[in-house]
Amino acid sequence: MQVWTKLFAKSPFKPLIKHAEVVLEAVGTLEKALGAWERGEYEKMREYARRVDDLEDFADRIKEEIRDSLSSKLFMPVNRGDILGYLEMQDKIADAAENTAKWLLVRDPNNIPEDIKDEVRTLIMTMSQESIKAAKLVYEAIVQMDRVIESGFGEKEIEREYAIIKEIESVEHKIDELDTRFMEIIFKNSAKMEWGLGMYLLNIAKTISNISDKAKDAAERIRLMMNK
Amino acid sequence: MIELLSDPWLFITIAVGLFMAWAIGANDAANSMSTAVGAGAITPKQAVIIAGVLEFTGAYLFGKSVTETVRKGIIDASQISDPNVIVYGSIAALLAASLWLLFASKFGLPVSTTHSIIGGIVGYGIVYAGTSIVNWGKMAQVIASWILSPIFGAIVAFVVIKLVSKTILQQKDPIESAKKWAPVWIGLAFVVIGSMFYIKVMHGKSLFIAVSRYGLAAGVGAFLVSFALLRKNVKATDPYWGVEAIFRKVQVLTSAYVALSHGANDVANAIGPVAAVYAVATMGLAGMKVPVPRWILAMGGLGIAVGVATYGYKVMETVGKRITELTNTRGFSIDFSAATVVLVASSLGLPISTTHTVVGAVIGVGLARGVKAINKDIVKDIVISWFVTVPVAAIIAGIVFKILMIVG
Repeated sequence: MQVWTKLFAKSPFKPLIKHAEVVLEAVGTLEKALGAWERGEYEKMREYARRVDDLEDFADRIKEEIRDSLSSKLFMPVNRGDILGYLEMQDKIADAAENTAKWLLVRDPNNIPEDIKDEVRTLIMTMSQESIKAAKLVYEAIVQMDRVIESGFGEKEIEREYAIIKEIESVEHKIDELDTRFMEIIFKNSAKMEWGLGMYLLNIAKTISNISDKAKDAAERIRLMMNK
Repeated sequence: MIELLSDPWLFITIAVGLFMAWAIGANDAANSMSTAVGAGAITPKQAVIIAGVLEFTGAYLFGKSVTETVRKGIIDASQISDPNVIVYGSIAALLAASLWLLFASKFGLPVSTTHSIIGGIVGYGIVYAGTSIVNWGKMAQVIASWILSPIFGAIVAFVVIKLVSKTILQQKDPIESAKKWAPVWIGLAFVVIGSMFYIKVMHGKSLFIAVSRYGLAAGVGAFLVSFALLRKNVKATDPYWGVEAIFRKVQVLTSAYVALSHGANDVANAIGPVAAVYAVATMGLAGMKVPVPRWILAMGGLGIAVGVATYGYKVMETVGKRITELTNTRGFSIDFSAATVVLVASSLGLPISTTHTVVGAVIGVGLARGVKAINKDIVKDIVISWFVTVPVAAIIAGIVFKILMIVG
């Protein structure tokens, strides 16, 4: 009986979780690209960077589908606007990952002055590890939101959700600090670098830190969903 | 029976009555199973089989053997002296109601079969004797039920789902809480089912007897059985899934009961007018109440069962799936609330439509933030269909009646 599956009044939460999965994969692939950079495998780095681009495209398509299905005809336990706002932020996480990937495709990061090379690399790697943590937490947050609804907005499940949100916020805070330190290093050593390299490195750090910024915004939206 | 069928008008009435029974099965009977199907407790195929068998059993074994020929006294039968009017009118009313039900089923709208047949009767009544023949007090009750049924359904379901959430889903360990509380909820549901069995299926009158003799026995029994069963073998990795699994089994039983009760009650909508014509054919006069032969009840039951099998899935689809995504706890809350509302209302003499109450209950569960998405458009279509049921059935019946009066 095919009619049965055809006209299903779908809840937006499963597709939202699917979208979060793709976003997480995009950020994870970016981390791999940066890992390849660290090891000096530039060909591999570009390959991963292009893959991030594809994943961002895929996330975009899922986003459009969710938007189209979330018509005002639906009556939901959470505000439709909050869901759309959340989706927008979750999608921007993938956008931010793609922005970093774009910079990686523009040029190879050679000629970094030897005395700061290690520190620059370590900082970038730490930031990327933290940003993948943020993306993972966002994925957990939306899965948990589904459980909040499943439990009929049970206190216990809401508490868990708040714990995840707080963790996202602390990750974002940590990346912000790393980003500031990174900027200080670059500007202190600007005389040793051509301007293009400085701009390149600064932008990579900025776009990575953007990932956690957007993760924080997404967490903020989930908070709104719970306070109807 | 054979010589009776040689009476062409009786034969036609029976044929139209069968059509009506089929339409009832197609539209209404599916409602009983649709929440269970929507919650994934049973497959549509299983639902069709269970509902078909139980609807027939309800209609044949428990259908009223004496039925009012003019349903619920909606028109004043004493104003009709010509037996031909009863014959033509009954055919017109049945035809109009079944055509409207057919149309509603086609679009997956759950409308009230009782209201359809009332519309048909009012239609021919007005064409025959003008508006004075209609008992407008009764009519006002019908109209009130459009508003009352969904509102009561929504309020009770809202409270029930909130309480189920509080006692089970929101607890630290939902499965452990379910082991304690599910038997209480199941017991309560069976108090309602037992009482309903007395009032709706056995056509008893007193709510007190219903609850004290049948309800409590069923409730305590269900409590003990479910308590014992739940003490062992409930294992689940996901607590919410585990709770749903517990309620899934209960839902099959509650739905099955609704189907049985529906067969016992709504078969009258199809065979009431047939019985009226049967009385004219055998006794030559139009009476208010006539005994109905068993074979007419059987035909009604068969018609309903065939309707469920051939068309019922369409409406199951609307209530079960298109309105909302249901889980078993929510499906249980809806069934339980609708049954409670219908029980209390019918013993208080309030006019309540089961169909409308179920839809109201679905919305109530939605308002309690219990479901993830309800399609507002479908709800709007359903509500509109309720308001046009009586007028549309009345107009069709009026036209058919006029034609029959001229031709016959």
